[in-house]
Amino acid sequence: MATPIGLDLDAFWSGLLAGADGLSAIERFPTGDLRVGRGGEIKKLPPVALGVRSRAAALLIAAAADLRARTRVDAAADRIAVVVGTALGGVEELEHALAGDGHPRRALDGLYDSPAHALAAWLGARGPVLTVSSACASGATALGVGADLLRAGVVDLAVAGGYDVLCRFVMRGFDALRSLARERVRPFDRRRTGLLLGEASGLVLLVREADARGPRLGRLLGHGSASDASHIAAPDAEGRGLQSAIRAALAAGDVGVADIDFVSAHGTGTVLNDRIETAALRRVLGNRAGAVPVNSIKGAFGHTMGAAATLEAIMCLMAGRDGWIPPTVGYEEPDPACDLDYVAAVCRPVRPRRMLSTSLGFGGCNAALVLEAIP
Amino acid sequence: MTRGARVEAVGLLTGWGDGVEPLPADARAAAGGRGVIPLARPALDGERFRRATRECLLGVVAVEAMLRDGGIGRELIRGPGTALVFVTAAAYGASNVAWLATQAGSLHFPYTAPSVLPGEVAIEFGLTGPYVILIGGATAAVDGIWQVGRMIAGGQCERGIVLAVETFVECEALWRRARWALPGPLVETAACVLVGPGDTPPEYRASATPALLERQVDTRVGRTMAGAPLAELALARAAASRRALVSGTWRGRTAAIEMAIAGRPVRV
Repeated sequence: MATPIGLDLDAFWSGLLAGADGLSAIERFPTGDLRVGRGGEIKKLPPVALGVRSRAAALLIAAAADLRARTRVDAAADRIAVVVGTALGGVEELEHALAGDGHPRRALDGLYDSPAHALAAWLGARGPVLTVSSACASGATALGVGADLLRAGVVDLAVAGGYDVLCRFVMRGFDALRSLARERVRPFDRRRTGLLLGEASGLVLLVREADARGPRLGRLLGHGSASDASHIAAPDAEGRGLQSAIRAALAAGDVGVADIDFVSAHGTGTVLNDRIETAALRRVLGNRAGAVPVNSIKGAFGHTMGAAATLEAIMCLMAGRDGWIPPTVGYEEPDPACDLDYVAAVCRPVRPRRMLSTSLGFGGCNAALVLEAIP
Repeated sequence: MTRGARVEAVGLLTGWGDGVEPLPADARAAAGGRGVIPLARPALDGERFRRATRECLLGVVAVEAMLRDGGIGRELIRGPGTALVFVTAAAYGASNVAWLATQAGSLHFPYTAPSVLPGEVAIEFGLTGPYVILIGGATAAVDGIWQVGRMIAGGQCERGIVLAVETFVECEALWRRARWALPGPLVETAACVLVGPGDTPPEYRASATPALLERQVDTRVGRTMAGAPLAELALARAAASRRALVSGTWRGRTAAIEMAIAGRPVRV
């Protein structure tokens, strides 16, 4: 993985547990005309990614290099799938192309599926290459689609995850929506005023249980998705789509609400999202709602859009492995409208076995993952 | 897979017209040197569509065309029982370019996201079931059809819509730069397929050779990227085929799927 708080899994995890702050003034492009010029920017890419024309592809390759350092991506090339989620794809390359970079490849690099194909080429994978773009829920659906390809026997390995680049295109957009926090991000806190954006990439190697060799981090038990069909830019007021997605993921994993030990929430830090997500979780979890720890890691390095759900899934599995749940950075003052058991201030010594991770995105996209740790 | 799937209805709108009848015998000759064969902005009125982009409206009218083809009412697809799979290689390009080109235009930023097109379709038709949004060319459409079949087989939905929209006009200058990679004409397309339960499961091949129907679409429609496999199904259904092998090629990979096609409803 590559994130603002660490360029590999170990650095990411230790940063999360330490409550690291990956938010800073953006340096890579001008922000002087924006209300907010801060975000989770990766200041220096790892050497493996240097020289890659597209930053989006570079982020993916950086994550893949970290993955390959930890495990063998070992199967016939046409039996390896690449499935990645993104909200923005190669849009920054489109920006360059429109700005006068006439290289014919720039226009093609601007297509949202280009970074995934660059990753497949770097890996030498020649199986299906899929790009999922369900906005900020993309990373969750990508993991689900990767698992589907494995279950159906289409491939033997799936390199799956998500990425997105912090660029002027998206900063201008969220700035125009007045969604960005002028100060710190405070998921579920009474004083929360909005989100900050970040950039990151995260990849996992998915393999069928029967084919697994060597150490594993965990299992993806189920995934679910559902459309709100209510509003383009705001979540359904009752969180109905999110509830449907969670219930679908639980059903797919044959997991009951009583089995969930921890929830990694979308928790963007916007007034609306956090209140609606809390209410949806309360409805699904029922009388266990107050007993299940919940966190959001977006306060640590911002909302990484297409990467977010993958990073959160990895965080869940690491929590199960090591017995610590990372804190919700920025959460200090409870909000009566957000009344779950949020992990605040410092990491909590809990070893969850089964976890729920939730994601929402523009267009009424809702996705949920049910994961199981292997201690 | 525990349940089969079949194509119940197909809606096809291309720059050549509605359905398969207006398709020329030779798209390249019919294009007469034009790089893009455009689709007009659909005339959908109403407050709800005041911010909607052309491609969003094309998605809506493609679903309506599919419903007409199947003689199906909106109520059949409304609710959580219908999955929605949206595929496109390029339909987000227009809004992205518009957003980049304007400092304070009328475009609402969320409309730059590819997920907003299926979001508008979901709102219009009340689709609250599972969804997948795949970005890519014709292979993504084949992968999307497979996804719907898999969801039906797994009981995650009762039926599924595969929607493909491709627009090129707003980015024609950019596409011209890549002409070496994408010989024209680029034909704007909005296509939609309804997949329902069937007797036999679709046969999916993640790696295949181009099917006859793919070559026919390439000849008669032109380059339509994610729309191609759905256009293939439209051709097969128009020919009263009860089973079709469709394929899609994109970035050097060809995927194929063979599946049953329902007969057209008898109209009296």
